[in-house]
Amino acid sequence: MKKIEEYAEQISRCSHCSYCQASCPVFMEDIVESVLPRNRIEVILRSVIDKSMPLSPRALEIIDRCLLCTNCTQGCSSQVPIDDIVIAARSAISMQTGGLSGVKNLVMGKMLRQRGLTALMGKAGAMVQKVGIATKDMPPLAAKTFDKFYSGTVKAEGETRGRVAYFVGCGTNFMYPDTGVATVNVLSRNGIEVIIPEGQVCCGIPSIAEGDFKSAREMIEVNVSIFSDLEVDAIVTDCTSCGMMFKEKFTKVLETADPLQEKISNLTSRVWEVTDFLNHLGLREIPGPMDSSFTYHVPCHRAWSPTVRHAPRQILTQIPGAEFRELENPERCCGAAGAFYMAHRELSEGIRAHRVQDIKDNGADLVVTQCPVCRFYIGSALKEQGTEIVHPMIMLARAYGFNGC
Amino acid sequence: MKSLHQDLIRLLSDKQVLTQPEDLMAYASDATYYYASRVPDAVVLPVTSEEVARVMKYAYEKEIPVTPRGAGSGLAGGCTPINGGIVLDMKRMNRLLEIDHDNMTAEVEAGLVHRQFTRAVERQGLFYPPDPQSAAVCTLGGNIATRAGGPRGVKYGTTGNYVLGTEVVLADGSIIKTGGKMVKQSSGYDITHLIAGSEGTLGIITRANLRLLTLPPVNNTMVISCSSLDQAAELVSAIIASGTVPAMLEFLIKLAIMVMNNYITPPLPLDYEAYLLVDVDGTARQVQEDTKKIKDICQDLGIPDLRIIEDPHEAASYWEARSKLYPLMLSIMKRVITEDITVPRNRIPDFVRGVQAIAADIAIQIGLAGHSGDGNMHPTILQPEINDEINAKAKQAIDRIIRIGLDLGGTISGEHGIGLHKQEYLEWEFGRTQVELMKRIKTAFDPKGLLNPGKIWLEGGDAE
Ligand SMILES: Cc1cc2nc3c(=O)[nH]c(=O)nc-3n(C[C@H](O)[C@H](O)[C@H](O)COP(=O)(O)OP(=O)(O)OC[C@H]3O[C@@H](n4cnc5c(N)ncnc54)[C@H](O)[C@@H]3O)c2cc1C
Ligand code: SF4
Ligand code: SF4
Repeated sequence: MKKIEEYAEQISRCSHCSYCQASCPVFMEDIVESVLPRNRIEVILRSVIDKSMPLSPRALEIIDRCLLCTNCTQGCSSQVPIDDIVIAARSAISMQTGGLSGVKNLVMGKMLRQRGLTALMGKAGAMVQKVGIATKDMPPLAAKTFDKFYSGTVKAEGETRGRVAYFVGCGTNFMYPDTGVATVNVLSRNGIEVIIPEGQVCCGIPSIAEGDFKSAREMIEVNVSIFSDLEVDAIVTDCTSCGMMFKEKFTKVLETADPLQEKISNLTSRVWEVTDFLNHLGLREIPGPMDSSFTYHVPCHRAWSPTVRHAPRQILTQIPGAEFRELENPERCCGAAGAFYMAHRELSEGIRAHRVQDIKDNGADLVVTQCPVCRFYIGSALKEQGTEIVHPMIMLARAYGFNGC
Repeated sequence: MKSLHQDLIRLLSDKQVLTQPEDLMAYASDATYYYASRVPDAVVLPVTSEEVARVMKYAYEKEIPVTPRGAGSGLAGGCTPINGGIVLDMKRMNRLLEIDHDNMTAEVEAGLVHRQFTRAVERQGLFYPPDPQSAAVCTLGGNIATRAGGPRGVKYGTTGNYVLGTEVVLADGSIIKTGGKMVKQSSGYDITHLIAGSEGTLGIITRANLRLLTLPPVNNTMVISCSSLDQAAELVSAIIASGTVPAMLEFLIKLAIMVMNNYITPPLPLDYEAYLLVDVDGTARQVQEDTKKIKDICQDLGIPDLRIIEDPHEAASYWEARSKLYPLMLSIMKRVITEDITVPRNRIPDFVRGVQAIAADIAIQIGLAGHSGDGNMHPTILQPEINDEINAKAKQAIDRIIRIGLDLGGTISGEHGIGLHKQEYLEWEFGRTQVELMKRIKTAFDPKGLLNPGKIWLEGGDAE
C-alpha cells in the first residue's frame, strides 16, 4: 500500500485548473472552495504529509467531507488520484488516532468480515439508534439473506455458453437478495453456469473508506483464496463498487511485496460487472415484451470498466416495448456513498435532492442502477411518488418472466 | 482579525464567512497559483446583491481591500488577493433569473456557471456563443470581468459582445444598473462596457443581461493536417481572407494533439507538425458551401490532409479534448505559462515564424495552440522544470513574444485579462497617457483604491 507521504509528488501535479468544481458533488452542494478536491489534497499535504499546518478539527472535517465517489479523479486531466489520496490520508490519521468509533468498528470490522451473522446486524442497528441515527436511514435488512437462497453451483439452462463465479456483495446478500436471485436466473437462462462459492466475505471497500487497511487486507485474503483458483471464464459482481474494489483497489491496499499481489493480478483481469458481462456475451434469447419506460442512474464507481456505464442501456433496450429515457446528468452522484450519508445527513440529502428532481423530471416508470446503496438511498426518497428503483438484472429477469423479483 | 470575522458575521451570517486557515488557503490564487503570495483575511459568500452592498459599505468605511472571485479559473492572477482583505466568492449567486424569448436576452446572477447557463439556453433552442474552454466551471461574472472568449470568437466575438447590461455594486456599497435588455443604447457613457473587462477593479458585478442568438441548426467539424507550423499559419490567413467565416478555427501543434489524444476517440495519428481543428455552422446549405470552400483552399495550398469528422461523438471528443488542453499540458510539464497575444489575422504567419525563432534562439519550448481564427495564438511557455535558469529564459521569451505581437499591431491580451500576469506590459501596449487615463477612471470609481488593488498596471508606473 502506498503511504500518504508517497503521494506528495502527485499532489504537486495539480494544475489548479479548478475543473473539479464541475465534478465534486460535495463542492457543488456546499459551493465553497475549502472542500474542493484541489484544496482537500492541499490540506492533506500540509496537515498530514509535511505537517506545516496542524491537523485541526477543520482539516479533519475537510478530509472527512469526501464521498470517495471518484468523480474528481475521473475528470482530472492531471491524473491526480484524489480518492486514493483521501483514503491514504484517512489511513494515516486512523493510525495516529487509534482507529474507528464503536459503531463503525462493529459494522465494518465484524459484521462484514463474517457472513451469516445477521444477529449482529440487529445489534448494530440498535447501537446506531442509540447514537441518534434514525431507522429510516438504515438500509432495509432482508428477512432471508441471499446465501439462504443459493450457494454452490447453478447449472445453465440448455446448452452451456460459459461459466462464471459470482461474487455476492454485502448489498445483495443482506439488503437486496432479489438482485442475486435475478442475476442467477438471468445468467442461467442465458446459458451460463453460475458458481456461488461459500465463505466469501465483504470486498473491503467500507473499510478502506475509513482508512482501515488491516481489516481490508484480511477480507481480500479470504476472497482471493476463494476466487483466484476457480476454473471460470469470469468473476461477476452485480455491484459496481465491489467491482472497483476488486479491479483497482485490491492491489493498492496491499504492500507492493505482498505475496497476494501476484494472485490478484491474475484475478482482476477476469472481473466483470454482471450487466456488462452479459452485454458483451450477448443475450441468447430476446426477453418478452414489457410495456414500461425506464431510466438509468449511473453509479459513480464506473471508471474501472469502460463499458459498464453503457451496458444497462444497451441490454435493456433489447426488451421489446421498454422505452429508455435518458436522465439529465445521468452520472450525477446520489450522495449516499456507503455509510457516508449517515454521518453527513444534511449534505447527503442535499445532493440526493438534485438526483431525485432529475428522476421526477424524467418521469420514467422505473429507474435502474447497479449500486445497492444508490438503490436504497434514492429509493427511499422516491417512495412517496411510487417510482421503483432496481438493479438492471431485476428488470431483465422480469422481462424473462421470473416472478418474485 | 477576530473583529473582522465578527463584523462580517453580523452583516451576513456565520455560514457565509470563512476565516480558518484551511478555508483561506483555498482562496489564495486562481489557476496561476504561482502568483499566490498570501491568503485573504476573510472569505465572504454572499447570496444577494444587498449582501454584497452591505459588505462593500463596511469595507469602504474600514478601508479593507476587496477582491471579487468567480470560479478562480483565471489565467492572469486576477482574483489573487495580494493585499489580503476580503475575498468575495460570488459562486452562490448562481440563479438564472430569466430567459426572455421575445427579446432574445437572458438575465443572470454573476456567479452562475457558464455551462449551467448555456445548457439551459440550448434546451430552449437558443444560443449563447462565447465559449471559454473553462466553461464547465467559470462564472459569467468572471467572464464579463475578463471579457472571456474562446474558439467561437472568430465568428461570434467574445463575452463583451453579448453583455447588454449589468447590475454593479460600487466601492461604497451603492448599487447601479447599467444598460438593460435593449440591443442598442446611445445615452451617456457606456459604463456597461467599462465594467466588462475591468477585472474586479471598478465594481462588483452582481447581475447581467446577456444577448442570445438562435442555435445554428447544422454544424460540421473537420481536422486539417499541415506539414509545418508555417503552412498551418498560412492556411488560417487564407481562410480568413477568403471571406469564409468558420465558427471555430483552432491552431494546434503536434504536441497539443499528442496530449489531447487522451480524450480524442479514436486518437488522431501524429503524422504531421501542425493541425487546424475547424468547425463551420449555420444552415445545411451554408455549412456545405463553407466546407467546400475550405476544402478548395486546402487543395490550392497543397495541404496534405483534411478529414471531416462525421460521427458526432468523435467530433465532441475533439472539442472536449481541446477544452482540457491546458491542464493536459500541465500533466507533462511542471509549469505552463499561457500568453494571450492576439494579432491581426493576416499577420499570423509572421507571428508564428517570430515565435519559432525566439524558441530556437533562447532554447526553450514554446507551444502554439490558439484560437487562431480570431488571431489569438496563445503561445505557451512550456517548462519541464522550474529553476532560476529556465525561469529567466521564460521571462526573456515572454518579453520578446510580446514585443513581436505588439509590433505586428496586436494586443497583449485577447481574452484572459491583465491581472498580475501582464501588468508590466500594459504601457508597452497603451503608452503612458492612456494608462494614466485608465488610472483616473479607476480613481473615479474607487477613490480609496480598495477594489482588487494591485492589478492591471504596476503601482507607481511603467516598466520600460
Ligand atoms: C483550463 C483553462 C482553460 C481556459 N480557457 C479559457 C478560454 O478559452 N478563454 C478565456 O477567455 N479564458 C480561459 N480561461 C481563463 C478563465 O477561465 C477565464 O478568464 C474566466 O473568465 C474566469 O472566470 P472565473 O469565474 O473563474 O473568474 P475568476 O478567475 O474568479 O476571476 C477573474 C477576474 O474577474 C474578476 N471577477 C470575477 N467575478 C467577478 C464579479 N462578479 N464582479 C467583478 N469582478 C469579478 C476577478 O476579480 C478576477 O480579476 C481558462 C482557464 C483554465 C484554467
Ligand atoms: S481537476 Fe485535478 S488538476 Fe484540476 S484543480 Fe482539480 S485536482 Fe487539480
Ligand atoms: S471523491 Fe467525490 S466527494 Fe471526494 S473529492 Fe472527489 S469528487 Fe469530491
